[in-house]
Amino acid sequence: MVGGGISGLTAAVEAAEAGFDVLLLEKKPGLGGRVAQLNLYFPKLCSPNCGLEIIFKRLAANSRFRFLTSAEVIAVSGGEGSFEVVVNLKPTFVKENCTGCGRCAEVCPAERPNAFNFGFDRTKAAYLPHRLAFPYRYVIDGEACRGPSCARCTAACPYGAIDLEMEARTLILKAGSVIWAAGWEPYDTARLGNYGGGRYPNVITNMVLERMASPGGPTSGKILRPSDRREPASIAFVQCAGSRDENHLRTCSGVCCLVSLKQAAYVRECCPEARLAMFYIDIRARGFYEDFYARVREGTGIELTKGKPGEIREDPATGNLLVLVENQLNGRVLEENFELVVLAAGMAPSALCAGLPASARDRDGFVSPVLAPGFYAAGCATRPMEVAPAVRSGAAAALRAVQWLGRRGHGR
Amino acid sequence: MAAKIGVYLCSGCGIGEVLDPAGLLQVAEDDRRVALVRESDFFCGQDAGLIQGDVTDRVVDAVVLAACSPRFYVKVFDYGPGLPVVRVNLREQVAWCHESGSEDTQMLAEDALRMALARAGGSAVPEPFRLENPSRAILVVGGGLAGLTAALEAARAAYRVILVERENSLGGWLRNVYRCAPLRPPYAESAENPFHLLSREVESHPGIVVYRGASIERTAGGPGQFDVTVRQGERLLKERVGSIIVATGAGAYDPAKLTRLKNLAYGTSPNIIVSSKFEELALRGGGRVARPSDGREVRRAAFIQCAGSRDPEHLPYCSAACCVETLKQAQYLLEPDPDCTVFIYYRDLRANGQYEHFYKKVQEEGAVFIQGEVVHVADRGGSLSVEADDLSLGCRSRVEGLDLVVLATGMIPDVAGGGPEQGALKLDYRQGPELPALKYGFPDSHFICFPYETRRTGIYAAGSVREPMDLVTTLEDAAGAALKAIQCVEMTARGQAVHPRALDVSYPEFNMSRCTQCKRCTEECPFGAINEDAGSNPLPQITRCRRCGTCLGACPERIVSFKDYSVALISSMIKAIEVPDGDEEKLRVLVFACENDAYPALDLAGAAGLKYNAWVRIIPLRCLGSLNPVWIADAMSRGIDGVLLMGCRQGEDYQCHFINGSELARTRIMNVSETLDRMGLEAGRIKMVEVEIIDYTKIPAILDGFADELAALGPNPLKGF
Amino acid sequence: MKTLKGAGAAQPLLYDCGFAREIYALEGGAQLKRCMQCGVCAVSCPSRQEMDYTPRRLFSLIRAGRKEEVLDANTIWVCTSCCTCRVRCPRGIDILGLMHELQFYYLRSWFKVHSRASFQQAFWQELRERGRIGEAGVMLRCWLKEGGLTGAVLKSLEMKGTGLRLLRRGRLRLIPPKIEGLTGLNKIIDKALAQQGYAE
Repeated sequence: MVGGGISGLTAAVEAAEAGFDVLLLEKKPGLGGRVAQLNLYFPKLCSPNCGLEIIFKRLAANSRFRFLTSAEVIAVSGGEGSFEVVVNLKPTFVKENCTGCGRCAEVCPAERPNAFNFGFDRTKAAYLPHRLAFPYRYVIDGEACRGPSCARCTAACPYGAIDLEMEARTLILKAGSVIWAAGWEPYDTARLGNYGGGRYPNVITNMVLERMASPGGPTSGKILRPSDRREPASIAFVQCAGSRDENHLRTCSGVCCLVSLKQAAYVRECCPEARLAMFYIDIRARGFYEDFYARVREGTGIELTKGKPGEIREDPATGNLLVLVENQLNGRVLEENFELVVLAAGMAPSALCAGLPASARDRDGFVSPVLAPGFYAAGCATRPMEVAPAVRSGAAAALRAVQWLGRRGHGR
Repeated sequence: MAAKIGVYLCSGCGIGEVLDPAGLLQVAEDDRRVALVRESDFFCGQDAGLIQGDVTDRVVDAVVLAACSPRFYVKVFDYGPGLPVVRVNLREQVAWCHESGSEDTQMLAEDALRMALARAGGSAVPEPFRLENPSRAILVVGGGLAGLTAALEAARAAYRVILVERENSLGGWLRNVYRCAPLRPPYAESAENPFHLLSREVESHPGIVVYRGASIERTAGGPGQFDVTVRQGERLLKERVGSIIVATGAGAYDPAKLTRLKNLAYGTSPNIIVSSKFEELALRGGGRVARPSDGREVRRAAFIQCAGSRDPEHLPYCSAACCVETLKQAQYLLEPDPDCTVFIYYRDLRANGQYEHFYKKVQEEGAVFIQGEVVHVADRGGSLSVEADDLSLGCRSRVEGLDLVVLATGMIPDVAGGGPEQGALKLDYRQGPELPALKYGFPDSHFICFPYETRRTGIYAAGSVREPMDLVTTLEDAAGAALKAIQCVEMTARGQAVHPRALDVSYPEFNMSRCTQCKRCTEECPFGAINEDAGSNPLPQITRCRRCGTCLGACPERIVSFKDYSVALISSMIKAIEVPDGDEEKLRVLVFACENDAYPALDLAGAAGLKYNAWVRIIPLRCLGSLNPVWIADAMSRGIDGVLLMGCRQGEDYQCHFINGSELARTRIMNVSETLDRMGLEAGRIKMVEVEIIDYTKIPAILDGFADELAALGPNPLKGF
Repeated sequence: MKTLKGAGAAQPLLYDCGFAREIYALEGGAQLKRCMQCGVCAVSCPSRQEMDYTPRRLFSLIRAGRKEEVLDANTIWVCTSCCTCRVRCPRGIDILGLMHELQFYYLRSWFKVHSRASFQQAFWQELRERGRIGEAGVMLRCWLKEGGLTGAVLKSLEMKGTGLRLLRRGRLRLIPPKIEGLTGLNKIIDKALAQQGYAE
């Protein structure tokens, strides 16, 4: 299993429970992937941690499941029944016997921007990936750490779990089949110059809003404008920020409409007075999500305008933002003022990785669910999708990955 | 029952700095079942061997480990199926969230240890429930795209498959389809209909038995031993299977009901047709579409989306596939003849994901997309017209001289009322013959996290029977369902529970001699696992059981017990709590926490260093549905001042892994308030809250708030009796 | 901003695809089919205040076959060729190129002389006759086309202030010299037009 996000975890837990040995490799120091960063799922508006917790619980007890974190796949070779996977283990400077007591972080003098919260707050160089981390183990950011000359953590750790001399290691692992579930990355909105992405502090992405709204996030669940840490009186959701765009992501990301509707629902809870507006081309709330769309539309009073904003301008004095969009009913260009703009950044397939030949990708950068006999892909690596299909895609890939074992009489 | 409990007291991770080990040692020594006590600050690391050694040497037959939360180091402290391990959560729920060196904190830790000892002493070792000759075969009901795919994928993993299709030929919906919407990346080109290939492969696969023109007469038993009676014409066949995939698909929304949509004028002209009819015309004409009234080739056509879908009067949901299906159908006209004129009326063009390429392609082929609401369709002497409030023009617009108008009708699940597949399984279950449904008749499941789990164990729904979906999604969905079905037969064969208590080998046993035939267990089981005999006695079907314990909570006679989870066991834990006299002004609050959400939330509160009162005594429950009201009476009569139930969210967007546990608990405590009244106690001593994991920041407010409410009520008057 | 003829009136606008097909047949015209009516072009245009219809609305009118509205509108003429719409169009449509094509189409096929079209024609006349653009020549030709001799005189008087200021600063030559090789330039232009299918 390459990737410990929701589709990878699902494939792993389902295959392990069906009686197959699974080894999961995750590039980051903790499992959970992108969903661990989400505040709530649509359409139930429930926390992703509930689903993650039960998966972790099932995996924690399953002797057929093993995993490596901070493990990046750099090459995959071979074929069904005899794959060789080359893995680069990045040093975390904390050994597996860490108990998660947190002494290292208490004494650590160095800080780093918290990538989990998109840099909106800071952690110590010795940090727990996040509150619900699995494994519940601290890691040390090699770039922020002051190194062996400081070593306060080494002295503070009662368990001798810290090794500041730890070096990268390369492992060669054998596998009968491989599932590629490397997931997605939020599209870099700094490339959307006309929206001021990455330039105007109060133009944020939907993922940043997720972290902000999360009770465990950088603002403890408060929605605050980055420029002055004030609750915004008006928020605009700008759809297709990068998606459905020949200059950026040519595909529709499939989830952003619902993400924005979900965000409108929870923002309405904590900012009951705020003006909410959404600018879109099509509201793609397929299937039962239509119910959710109707519920949010009626329950939040969000103003829905069909039209893709062409420009966002900042008033440097106030940090407020002028959203320029055409009112298609009369052809007039509206200039609307908002205190916060949330860009519905699209889903880009995770960056090119040596483990996968470039030829395996389609023109959008996604990979086919069946790459070769024994080599499968799942989740957002294959196409943009929300959590429910990612779960199903994980289960489907798990089945394909165990079929060859079934044919050899496994389990009988 | 354990007679030689080993107690292992960990002082690591700050526990030793908060608690006095002497007090804990004393508690252990006071219990005559304790054979040995060991202390360390690193049982999870260098001293892990100590416990293993005691177990191997058979010095102990149960382990009580007072250390971190049971959510951690599960495999490290696993000594095999024969040895119960009870964890005392001193780290997250004592040391990290209570005052160091305080008397109250110490009392909390000691009570927690006493409760664990009671639990360890009262637990027996569960023996897995193994069927004698479990079936590993998989039944697939429905031979459409989802069914064929599921059957083939399961057979490719070398599982025997029995496929039952009601029609005389396989293919389902696809049989009447000319071409398919794109099936492969990058999803820009329509695809050949795969059903010929698929059905041929299924029919020729040695591992698949196909019954065509067949239906199911009866499904009895449970996972590993479903006994299915299949009727094929006059023949009745018996099959035993291990699990079932329901892939009965969806049907088109009843066109007759469309006549109520006056603006679409359906039924007033032979040339106003539904999308399935259009597909049929294309198939019959080998791609050429002749109009029904006079057989003339169609040169000008309009497609109208959402005919019935996204309409509160008809289908409130979106049918998910129609936009892309219409794109494909427009191609039937445009590809052979680019001079054809095609209009597509839509509200939102839902070509999600990579289907965007397909949308663009059909645009380039010349289809004219008109966003807006259709207000009027009419046929004047064979020439049709459509009028719409046109959003892109900003005014009303009209198209005339059309040969054909195609209405994109939505889909309805075939297990839902009205569909021809009604009664697809005919389950011999006390709770009814079919899968309990969500809104709109689609089978109930937690459709985000655990989409395949229906409320009938071992029966998995796949394809558009579960929710409206397109073909690509269906292919993946069917493969996933096949894995779940395989998993179910394997776990059942091992005597293990399936999701969510996967690997659990305990199961409920019924002491029938005391049963009063009240039927609560048979009615309340969320998974229909308990049948009834003619005398209304419960007949538990263990392989259908998910081990949530709802039956245990439902039974007023306390006759349902698991080896390691029972009414008596939890009662003994409650009795292990030391309740100070009323004049000490030390409240005691018993918390029943759902182990899936509330318990981890309590852990997280500790990990975040949030502080709350040390009067709470926490007992995790498998599910609040397993809460037996007798425990509340026990707690009250012990002099405990209040009982707090922490469960998950109820209602339409429920989160319970067992469907309705917290809802059942609420009903039960409402009934308990009467009993409280009789005991002369205030109803406010029992409270229920909904807690998600992420609500951990609210834990102190919840617990301290309840303690304040109890303080206002004064001490439980039953203290000391 | 122009209100559509018939908009809000009892008579709905009738779709007629013939005009759209003509436009699709122009160089790059088929790109128009890809338009998904998002409206980014409308916002991105610096001349949007001047335009009768935004480019998006113009495209929807073309699609509906509203030839008269499309060619009567000033939209194609106030385009300043800044290219912002083209850079931003999420469907990658060369809107700028389309505007130019529509201008040619207008000149070729429309019976009326649009005020903006006369500028276009004057520009080309000046170029063909002198080989370079002289502001005075272009404007005079333009005013003559628009208002005849009287109109041109009146307009010249109206603009006299600006003209004199430009003259004083040496920014305006009343009769600039022709370039050398004017015939060659005209040949190039003819060839380019012929290649694009605009030969007279």
